[in-house]
Amino acid sequence: MKKLLFIILSLALFTSCERKISEYAADKGTANFTTYISVGNSLVAGYADGALYHDGQVYSCPNLIAGQLQLAGGGAFVQPMVTSNFGVAVYPGVQPKLVLGYTVDCQGVVGLGPLRTEGAMDPFANVGYAVNNFGIPGAKSFHLIAPGYAQMNPYYARFATSLTGAVVQEFNNVHPTFFTMQLGDNDVLAYALAGGSYDSITNPQLFYFAMKTVLGSLLATGAQGVMANIPDITSIPFFTTIPYNGLVLTRQSLVDSVNYAMSLYQLPFHYVVGQNPFLIKDPTSPHPYFKVRQMVPGEYVLMTVPQDSMKCRGMGIINVATHAPYPIPDQYVLTTSEVAEIHAATNIFNAIMDTMASNHHVGLVDMNSKLKQLNSQSGIVWDGVHLNTDFVTGGAFSLDGIHLTPRGNALSANFFIEVINQRFGSKIPYVDVTKYKGVVFP
Amino acid sequence: MRRITFLLLLFCFAAMTSIGGGYQVGLHSTRNTGMGLIGTSLTYDASSIFYNPGGVSFIKDKWSFSGGISLIMARVTFQGKDENYQTHLEHQLNTPFYFYASYKATDNLSIGLAVNTPYGNGLSWGDNWQGRYLIQNLKFQAITVQPTISYKFKDIIGIGVGLVWAYGGVNLNKALPIDYSGGEGQLNIKGNTIGFGFNAGILIHPVKGLNIGIDYRSKINMDVQNANATFTVPAAVRSQFPDTKVEVSLPLPANLDLGLSYDINEKLMIGINLCYVFWKQYDSLVFNFKTQTASLGRTAQPALYQNKLIPRLGAQYKINPTVTVRLGAYYDPSPVPSDYLNPQTPSSNEIGLTAGLSVFPFKGFSIDAAFLYLMGTKRDGTYSPENFAGTYYSAFYIPAIGLSYSF
Repeated sequence: MKKLLFIILSLALFTSCERKISEYAADKGTANFTTYISVGNSLVAGYADGALYHDGQVYSCPNLIAGQLQLAGGGAFVQPMVTSNFGVAVYPGVQPKLVLGYTVDCQGVVGLGPLRTEGAMDPFANVGYAVNNFGIPGAKSFHLIAPGYAQMNPYYARFATSLTGAVVQEFNNVHPTFFTMQLGDNDVLAYALAGGSYDSITNPQLFYFAMKTVLGSLLATGAQGVMANIPDITSIPFFTTIPYNGLVLTRQSLVDSVNYAMSLYQLPFHYVVGQNPFLIKDPTSPHPYFKVRQMVPGEYVLMTVPQDSMKCRGMGIINVATHAPYPIPDQYVLTTSEVAEIHAATNIFNAIMDTMASNHHVGLVDMNSKLKQLNSQSGIVWDGVHLNTDFVTGGAFSLDGIHLTPRGNALSANFFIEVINQRFGSKIPYVDVTKYKGVVFP
Repeated sequence: MRRITFLLLLFCFAAMTSIGGGYQVGLHSTRNTGMGLIGTSLTYDASSIFYNPGGVSFIKDKWSFSGGISLIMARVTFQGKDENYQTHLEHQLNTPFYFYASYKATDNLSIGLAVNTPYGNGLSWGDNWQGRYLIQNLKFQAITVQPTISYKFKDIIGIGVGLVWAYGGVNLNKALPIDYSGGEGQLNIKGNTIGFGFNAGILIHPVKGLNIGIDYRSKINMDVQNANATFTVPAAVRSQFPDTKVEVSLPLPANLDLGLSYDINEKLMIGINLCYVFWKQYDSLVFNFKTQTASLGRTAQPALYQNKLIPRLGAQYKINPTVTVRLGAYYDPSPVPSDYLNPQTPSSNEIGLTAGLSVFPFKGFSIDAAFLYLMGTKRDGTYSPENFAGTYYSAFYIPAIGLSYSF
């Protein structure tokens, strides 16, 4: 018996060895990642949860890409870091980041939702060092070629080397060998975020000229790179979280009185128990006095709509004080025609970028189809993580409904890496999506 | 007294791991383990109760007892596809066991009882590994008890049948991608059940020295009706993930074995086995949560296993009355398709090499030892429903010990 035990134990000893699989061998292919720069807007700046804050920058999409490129000869990736985890007060009125927490609404109902944290933000200051991440919140394509843009956009002024120069003039100073660019989203998004009311979609000719100049400036440095096109921004949670028919009437008596009021006003709207379309402004309405109509499928209510007014003051149906029809103000709504304008412009801009990318042998990340996939029934599954465009639970979008979570950024970084590997024959490993967080619950 | 302690120990360590295809264990007699896991045509001891009830009536002795345990040391390395990520299965010891007793009531009629662990799986990848949303750790075990009756006609044909009562338990943990101040969401499922099946076999002894065995072990449905699902989630989503009962169904697949053995002379015996496993019966792993919410309902993890034939080869040589040695080999093709390769059962085509030894200190009593080395092939696969892809490379080192006593 003792002998047997001895034999078994000695066998156990020699068997502790593991099976060997060779580790992932990263390779740069035909690219040179020595000095990598990122060019674009808030989507690459590390802006998230409605603020530019420290951790958001740490988990910015280009910073995650840079971490992987470093396995194949990539160098340091310097970002204009914010030290505060609440935000940076670039101008008066900037609020600290959003967190998920409990709030009490006007009806006294406790609910879970995004709310502003309180904490000390960094004051505005120029960081004083050269950066690799030229991600500028708010930047449209033509902003990058505008002299003196630093005087208009304090996010850029935080790291601009000149108050009078243009962003495109900075690229040469850092001698980039490789770039990623995600620009152009704000050329439609700014208009959409304003509910189509006080911003405008960039003129396609201006867009073409600006993109050509920005890409030209990048290529003139000798760098190679990839660029992303513009997704259908109307599928992001900022526009999809509140449905067009999110007006819920629970009691028949309430439905009856609403229908009675509408008939008194000679408005042809009929309400039922359950979900009903919100009322919005309509200047083309034939009605002599009430220029309103009900929303239709394919129209969007913005996440910034004053929800207490909707819940307690009758916005979107009938004003509880005056009993008059109470449409949602235009800046909180994207109507069918505004959506059509956004889609048309997105298609034109994407066609411009597509041609430009193939003409200059720049890899193209088809963010448009990736967001379509994320917005589909099955979403995108990566290493057991199921991601989609749902607000909070979808895992990809941060609490502002526009920018990505760290996990969303990891996924986006992988879209770039996929194209980098295809375009340059490199072997850059994907970012481990499971290591990064989605929306954090309290 | 010593034997009782030994048996108690067996039950304490009753944890299995799958070796080879799927979650079938295959280690049911230390003697047979030494010769390529053959056994369908052998009648040396009471292990026939499991391998082929038809052979039980051919056991020469009035009483035969056999018991033992195997120590499975699994080594699996995982490399993520297109990712800079590599990890190893955590080291743990899994210990399938067996105990058999047979009694020759008349010259031709024998009865017996088998207690063993034909199915099981136990593994842990750790709490924080990349595939944690698929599985962190899993322990599944089925202990079967099989009362058996066997009758032979004129020392030529034996038939036998056993009723199989199976007790199965499952305990699995996986992470949920829900981040909160306390960490990450977590799901534990724990429960047990019983199931029934049968084991029937025929042993033919046409000429001296030659034995042919055919055995069929039926499918057993392990349908855990009332397992406990325990969610660790933030209060904000608790209403979506309430603790609830959950029904988990897992089939233990049927086996059809054909065995042939021949005594070349007094000392040397060789045998082959062909084992056909009806793995197709494992189509999907279904979890049916009793309390349903928008996030919780009936989920089916597709498995889509395929039926497989395992060829086995073994030989035994009696050096002298006190020492017998054994050798064997087999090929165990994986029943798991490459696009459904799941870290819950990282299975690959495997080659098993075995050696064994029995020492008889006195007549009828033997101490048995065996060693099985199972070489997995490096295998690329994806569990498509979760888009989890990588390369698995496995090896198993399995020493086994046992005692047999016949008189």
